[in-house]
Amino acid sequence: MNTLYFDEIEEGDELPALDLFLSKDGVRQFAKTAGMYFPRFTDDEGARAEGLPGMIAPGVMSMGLLARMISDWNPAAVVKRIGTTFRSPVLPDCNVHLRGAVTQKNEEDHTADCDIWMENDDGERWVVGTATVTLPSKA
Amino acid sequence: MAHILDLHLHSEASDDSRAPVEAYLKWLARKRDERPLEGLVLTEHRQFHAAGEYRELEDKYGVLILKASEVETDYGHVLVYGVNDDILKRFDFKNVRLPAQEVITEVARLGGIAMPCHPGRPTIGLIEHYGKRPPLEGVMGVEALNGGSKKGENERVAELIRQYGYHAFGGSDSHLVSFVGLCATEFDRDIKNMDDLVEALRVGGYRPVDFRSPRPQTQAAPEV
Repeated sequence: MNTLYFDEIEEGDELPALDLFLSKDGVRQFAKTAGMYFPRFTDDEGARAEGLPGMIAPGVMSMGLLARMISDWNPAAVVKRIGTTFRSPVLPDCNVHLRGAVTQKNEEDHTADCDIWMENDDGERWVVGTATVTLPSKA
Repeated sequence: MAHILDLHLHSEASDDSRAPVEAYLKWLARKRDERPLEGLVLTEHRQFHAAGEYRELEDKYGVLILKASEVETDYGHVLVYGVNDDILKRFDFKNVRLPAQEVITEVARLGGIAMPCHPGRPTIGLIEHYGKRPPLEGVMGVEALNGGSKKGENERVAELIRQYGYHAFGGSDSHLVSFVGLCATEFDRDIKNMDDLVEALRVGGYRPVDFRSPRPQTQAAPEV
């Protein structure tokens, strides 16, 4: 992981993929740490009682993983804005694949717009969104 | 001149997309070898984006840009091509429970064509409603390949098409810049404008095309 400067990135660049196994214990740990220790995030039965197919990952956890993908790509990038749409519940105990691409460079403020998304092994996009990041300048 | 068009995508004019039209065009220019599209049809949610003016972008990027709408009906979501003043007077596109049969019939009478999209999707797709109510009359084609579909959804549509003899088309349903043109429609005839598109969709001679890359084998991943 090296610092990438604004001049070193190009529109169309793909962010390095981040592939993870999303475990139920990992989700419980996140929920506990985030003060969100609710049944929907901690056990299947509790989640089903709320009408869900099973325990799910909190939305902010998915957003956090997408932000991690960005910081893994470029530790000097500052996430100014991140917005997501949750197309499906994120059900743990499976692989998740975080993906992204630079879609626009903004010369005036040295920011870049990125598409970001989380998909499963079948390529179903569970979470899609965009982020704007500020990048360091060599000048 | 356009033979391959993405018939279903959303720009930042839709409430759930942040994709600028020019960013779509720049992305396509970079990906031309992988996604050889010659035209886009912007299908904004629950509206016809009359203010959108893309002539300069068409000239700059050499891509045909047409405007249509995605409306919500009691049989799921429907793409409306050839939107005109008469259609806009007849229907309130903001209504999320438009009567599908009236939309199909009246849009055709008024010069356009209405085609159900992502029919295999739960709740907002045609197939689920066909399981409970009579089939719609006058449907000419359905979106057989949707870039945002989940596993099994596009496959369910194949059976629908076999049963009812609908024409099949494709669209990316892109809400993000980088998804533009992943699925599209190839026409036998040249599409130069919306009139050409409506006529072509009525008579047939088109098919969905898939420009998605094969998925890599899943590797063992670190746990989180």
